Amino acid sequence: MSEGYEILTLDEVEAAPHRGSNLIPVRHTLGFRPAGVNAWIADAGGQLIPPHEEDSGNEELYAVVRGRATFTVGEETADAPAGTLVYVPPEVFRTAAAAEDGTIVFAVGGSVGEAFNPGGWDSFALAVGYAQSGRLHEARAIMAQLIAEKPDYWPTYYNAGCFEAQAGNADAAFEHLRRAKELDAGGDSDEYFRGDTDLDPLREDPRFQEFLS
Amino acid sequence: MNTVHIDELDRNEMSDGFVWRPVRRHFGIQAFGTNVYTPGASGRVIEEHTENVYGHEEIYLVLRGRVRFTVDGDDHDLGQGQLIFLRDPSLRRGAVALTDDAAVLTVGGKPGAPHEVSAWEYTFAAGPHLRAGRYDEARRLLHEGLEAKPGNPAIRYDLACVEALAGESDKALELLNEAVEADERFREYAQTDEDFASIRDDPRFPR
Repeated sequence: MSEGYEILTLDEVEAAPHRGSNLIPVRHTLGFRPAGVNAWIADAGGQLIPPHEEDSGNEELYAVVRGRATFTVGEETADAPAGTLVYVPPEVFRTAAAAEDGTIVFAVGGSVGEAFNPGGWDSFALAVGYAQSGRLHEARAIMAQLIAEKPDYWPTYYNAGCFEAQAGNADAAFEHLRRAKELDAGGDSDEYFRGDTDLDPLREDPRFQEFLS
Repeated sequence: MNTVHIDELDRNEMSDGFVWRPVRRHFGIQAFGTNVYTPGASGRVIEEHTENVYGHEEIYLVLRGRVRFTVDGDDHDLGQGQLIFLRDPSLRRGAVALTDDAAVLTVGGKPGAPHEVSAWEYTFAAGPHLRAGRYDEARRLLHEGLEAKPGNPAIRYDLACVEALAGESDKALELLNEAVEADERFREYAQTDEDFASIRDDPRFPR
C-alpha cells in the first residue's frame, strides 16, 4: 500500500474511555483533516455517544454502522438500526445507547463556513485512557504531539497539566499550566482553574494560588 | 428527529452505473461533504476518479455488504465497518460491489478550507433528469448550482447539454463556449459528447 492511503477496521482500533463511552479515535489514528470523524462502540445497554450539545455552527451526522442504537435528540427518542443516518444541528442535546452488542456509530462533525480545526479532545481522550491503564509513555507522546501541532493553543497545555496532575507529577503539571495561563490572554481558562476536579491533586500546593487570580 | 435510513435516500443512478444517494443535500449540511453510494446495474459503487480538481481528502466507509476498492491499481476487499482513507488527492480510486446490498458512506473535504458544496453535486443531481428528458427539472437544478457557484464551467457545460437536447441551439452554443473559455478541458469533452449532435455542425461550435 502506498503512503497516500490507509485502511482501517473500526473494531480493531483500540478504543479509549471517554465520558462513559468507548471512543474509536478515527481522526487521531488517520490524521484526517477536513472534518471531525470518530466512532463509538458499545454492547447492549451501554452508552454510545456521551450526552452533549455542540457549539453554535457545529453540525454533526451520525451513521449506525453495525448493530442497533437508540438515539435521543432534544426531547425525542428514536430506534436506529444499522444503516440509519441521524443529523443533529448545533446546540441541540444528543446522546445514544446501544440496543445490540457490538453496535458501532460513526460520527462526522464540522463548523459551517470554517475550516475544520481539531481541538484535539479525541487525542486527549486517548492520552487519558493510556494514562489510566499505566501507559504513561504513550500518553505523554500524544500530549507532546498535540503541543507540537498547535504550540500557541492554551487548552492543549491546560490538558497536559491536568494529565500530569492526575499522574502525580506536580512539577510537570505546573509547567504546562503556567504556559496555558500565559497563552490564554482572554482569561477563558479561569473558570477551569477554579472548578476542574482534574486539578484537585494540585489544589493544596502553594504554587496553585498563582492560577486563581 | 432528523433521521433517514440509507435505503430511503434519493436514488440517482448515474451513467456509469453507480447510484448516488445524496446525504449532505438531504439534510442541508453545510459544514462538510458526505454521501452514500450503492451499486447500480453495472455493479459499480464508486466511479473511478481522482480528487485532483477539488484537492479533497476522502474517507470511504462500508456501511453494508462487501466492496472491492481499487486504489492506484491495487485491489482491497472491505466489509462492513472497514474504511479506506485517501490522503493523496492524485490517487485514482474506484469501487465495485461484491454483494448486492453494498453501501458506502463518503466524507470528504479540502484540508484547511471551509467546506464548499462541490459543483458535481448539482451536475449529478441534474444528470438523471437530463437522461430521462425532464429538461425543466434538469435546468432548475443546474441553475440552482450556478446561483451557488456563479460561472462554474462544469455546470455551464451540463446546462449546454440540456439546451442542446431540448433544441435550444443558441443557448447551448453560448453556454458551451463560456464553459470552454473558462476551462479548456471542456473543448475536448465536447468533441465526442453525443448530447451536442444537434449543434456540432454549427460554425459557432468550439473546435
